Amino acid sequence: MHLLGQRLLRAGNSGRRRRLPGRRFGVDLAGLVIIAVIAFPLYWMVISALKPRTAIEAGDTTPYPAKVTLESIRRVVVGDAFWLYLANSLIVALSVVVLSTFCAFLAAVALTRYRFGSRTKLLIMILVAQMVPVEALTIPLFFLVRNIGGVVPGLGLNHLGSLIAVHTAFTLPLAIWMLRGFVAAVPTEIEEAARLDGASSLTFVWRVLFPIVAPGVVAVSVFSFIAAWNDFLFAMTFIISATERQTLPVAILRFFQPDGNDWGAIMAGSVLMTIPVLIFFVLVQRRLTSGMAGAVKG
Amino acid sequence: MRPRHALALLSSAAVLAACAPAQTDGTDAQADEATGTLRVWLFDEVDRAPKEDVVEAAVEEFEDTHDDVTVDVSYIQVDGRQERFNAAFNDPESAPDVAEFGNTDLPGFVAAGGMAELTEEIEDWDQGDQLDAAITETARVDGATYAVPWFVGARALYYRTDVLEDIDTDPPETLDEVVDTARAARAESDLLGLSTGGNYLWALLPFIWANGGDLAEESGDGYTATIDSPPARAGVDQYTELLSDDVCPPQTCAEMGGNESVDNFVAGEAAMTLGGNFNYAAVSDSDIGDDFDVIPLPGQDPGSVAPAFAGGNHLGVFAGSDRHTLAVEFTQLLAGAEYQERMYEAMGNLPTLTPVQEDVAATDPEMEPFIATLEAGTRFVPATEAWTTIDAQAVLPSMVQQVATGDESVQDATSEAADRMNDAFDES
Amino acid sequence: MSRSTSARPRSGGDRLRLRTALRTGRFEPWLYLVPAFVVLGVMLVYPIYQLVLVSMYDYGQPQVTGAEPLRFVGADNYRRLFEDPRFWEVLSNTVIFAVLCVCGTLLVGIALAVLATRLRPWVRTALFLVSLGAWATPAVTGSAVWLFLFDPTLGLVNQVLVGIGLDGFAGHSWTYEKWSAFGLVAAQVIWCSFPFVMVAVYAGITAIPAELVEAARLDGASTLRVAWSVLIPMLRPVLTIVTIQSIIWDFKIFTQIYIMTSGGGVDGQNLVLNVYAYQQAFAANSYGLGSAIGVVLTLLLLAITLVYLHIRRRSGEVL
Repeated sequence: MHLLGQRLLRAGNSGRRRRLPGRRFGVDLAGLVIIAVIAFPLYWMVISALKPRTAIEAGDTTPYPAKVTLESIRRVVVGDAFWLYLANSLIVALSVVVLSTFCAFLAAVALTRYRFGSRTKLLIMILVAQMVPVEALTIPLFFLVRNIGGVVPGLGLNHLGSLIAVHTAFTLPLAIWMLRGFVAAVPTEIEEAARLDGASSLTFVWRVLFPIVAPGVVAVSVFSFIAAWNDFLFAMTFIISATERQTLPVAILRFFQPDGNDWGAIMAGSVLMTIPVLIFFVLVQRRLTSGMAGAVKG
Repeated sequence: MRPRHALALLSSAAVLAACAPAQTDGTDAQADEATGTLRVWLFDEVDRAPKEDVVEAAVEEFEDTHDDVTVDVSYIQVDGRQERFNAAFNDPESAPDVAEFGNTDLPGFVAAGGMAELTEEIEDWDQGDQLDAAITETARVDGATYAVPWFVGARALYYRTDVLEDIDTDPPETLDEVVDTARAARAESDLLGLSTGGNYLWALLPFIWANGGDLAEESGDGYTATIDSPPARAGVDQYTELLSDDVCPPQTCAEMGGNESVDNFVAGEAAMTLGGNFNYAAVSDSDIGDDFDVIPLPGQDPGSVAPAFAGGNHLGVFAGSDRHTLAVEFTQLLAGAEYQERMYEAMGNLPTLTPVQEDVAATDPEMEPFIATLEAGTRFVPATEAWTTIDAQAVLPSMVQQVATGDESVQDATSEAADRMNDAFDES
Repeated sequence: MSRSTSARPRSGGDRLRLRTALRTGRFEPWLYLVPAFVVLGVMLVYPIYQLVLVSMYDYGQPQVTGAEPLRFVGADNYRRLFEDPRFWEVLSNTVIFAVLCVCGTLLVGIALAVLATRLRPWVRTALFLVSLGAWATPAVTGSAVWLFLFDPTLGLVNQVLVGIGLDGFAGHSWTYEKWSAFGLVAAQVIWCSFPFVMVAVYAGITAIPAELVEAARLDGASTLRVAWSVLIPMLRPVLTIVTIQSIIWDFKIFTQIYIMTSGGGVDGQNLVLNVYAYQQAFAANSYGLGSAIGVVLTLLLLAITLVYLHIRRRSGEVL
């Protein structure tokens, strides 16, 4: 981000030099106001998580927690295998990230560095996969996963492998589309140089291309991570009897009750669920923006 | 490679695909073993500990009296239960032996072939004849019983004592008076006269039933909608009178369900509401906790009670269970008087066994209006899988909302609802 | 390989050279596609085939469990759908609502991306962080929070509006009127989906070589002209991706509508296709009909995407 900022400064210099300092301040102020607007629902989520349950039920609208309590957070964390579910969610999300970016990277290589007739058709087919509403696919996928489970138990019902497989498939199309740009942005000279050194195609892809594109790969992974992290439809359908293999979103379903939802706990659970995503983002953020800069050139 | 690849893909698809959609074959039990692990699904709660304690005691007792049997209890989420039960029907290996579920879920589960019939088992059970008759009706599909009612919830009329004092009115004794009182309360206090909603089916039904109408009647081997009959229309008319600017403005109330309706009462925004026994604690803990009372929702005549909807949960045995006898015995233990009483103490769930109901009313006076509502006789929705469709398609909420918003007359809205209900009945 | 060679912006000339230098091996590209194809083939192509198959059967939970026999009904599910006047109303709702969301998301995302390039680094980081927070918030919670804020009697927004003297907002329901409800839901959708557009477009802008802008300015081009003839063409590829993705996502909105309008609004006025599919089919366990709706939705999206790509291609864009 820092490096990028400098580049930006350079890019914007010509315009900026003529601008008055007051104008710059105005832009920043506008930025802060917008940040406040975007952040407000998030802020509301956090303070709802910190309010006592009775205050939420009574429609308490004080815009700050008059009395901070960790009651709601405790309801989420204690009493159920919260940490186990968290670990399961992490296993699923991280496996999906690794698998989906691996497959997407190779596919992106094929789709950008080689020329063949059906390329455009393939790209559109990959998009089609994203267009089907997932609810409609649940039943076919259920039977598929059940049958696969007969051969490879680890990928069958009641196993995390089934969730990993499904989410890898669902996140793959976007990952391919995004990674295409990264791979295309690597100069041909590098490939030619590698070839002159006698490197085979596979060596080039793994030893040369992959390390160069790696930052972009990390960046794209944030999409896959969020998608796998927030799902509960498949978690509910595939993890039937093995409660010890449930994921985090399903654990939060507990607070949706027919006699009234426990919004405090739902907010607390969501805040807790958002934290790992933000951590993941902070870790990859520099690469996200610089990496995407390459992606968009596709 | 390209044609070969495509071919490989095609052939693998052909291997996987039969030429028809997938079906599970046979959920019927293979055996009836007397030992091993009995798997039980119960609903998870926000605060599960008290429920867990009672269930654990039952499990211990059961394991003590049955050699080489372990009971494995899992707590599943109420929200999303449909997906999980369907998954269990589709994959018998993952299915439990005994499960808790909502009584409106039952017809769908039975149609899917998922639940075992328990008619004889309940007849043979020494406590079977103590079950509240109207509530046992909710466990019946096509004349056969498929579950044991475990607990019920009843709704009654909550009202603000201070507001009624201000307008110098006694608690209403007939449904007409309910409407009048609500109107007077709003005129005086600007609160919602009676907080209820277009999406609150369990509030609508007592009005229909009290007027002598019903949603549908059995005809032949199916059902026919009667929501467009004159008495049912009178009920809809009376209920939608509440969803008007001088009681509960449609702007605010048309979309509300049961929870939102009660929330407004809890927040001190309403003079009356229809709430369940399960809402009692939240109301008495709130700021208006000292200024409210509960009575059974009156019927048309003074002294009568409008029939309430018998909501509640059942315990049932899976058709695919390999331990049917054990499963039935555990169900009877958990649904028996001792544990019903303990479940009431732990969770506040109203019992389904009449002797236990009487005990509860005697020891806890605040439950008296709810028990009285149960004793006056409860009613249920049509026990057919078509109900799942009617419910999912929001046929009745749409009907109420059409009337409340003034888009359609009661006449037209009920006719349309009857058509949609009949479509659903015809299909199943 | 040093970092300096990594994803640097390249001018059009370089890309042209790269394209011509592409390897033309017949075997290798397919080799690299194998992992992706295996995953997509098994987990998506096969289920989609099943989806089409199921859409031609009377297929409900009793049929799935084998309690009742399967019945082939051909195009019956589709006929039922097309004969239902409500379906057409829902379809037009879906299109209008999705267009509203897509345009809103793109506008907000692009505007904030441009703004981001002019912010101080710490303000920019803050903007990115809160945006990512909005993006990562589970849809259920995000919808619930917005609903809390806009609740007729208990919501903060109405209380503030009444507080500043707008008494008309006392008890005002934002979801009672059809387009007001769609507007509120669209605002929530834009809130949680603009970050994707913002991040991508921001990256695109930073990738544009400064020299290019400089050169145009030296030629005496106005800011608007620079934006129109330099920036926009350079951003085309990223705009294509974010537009297609937004279309795909926004046509399939489910959670926000389901929660914020309590399952489709007063008398179903706010139903969109995906919620309609759920209500008519999945919640009622008729998977055949649900699959038919799924097929229709997929074809609709495919048609829109192809038309969009076609227009793009006519204006010189190569996929």
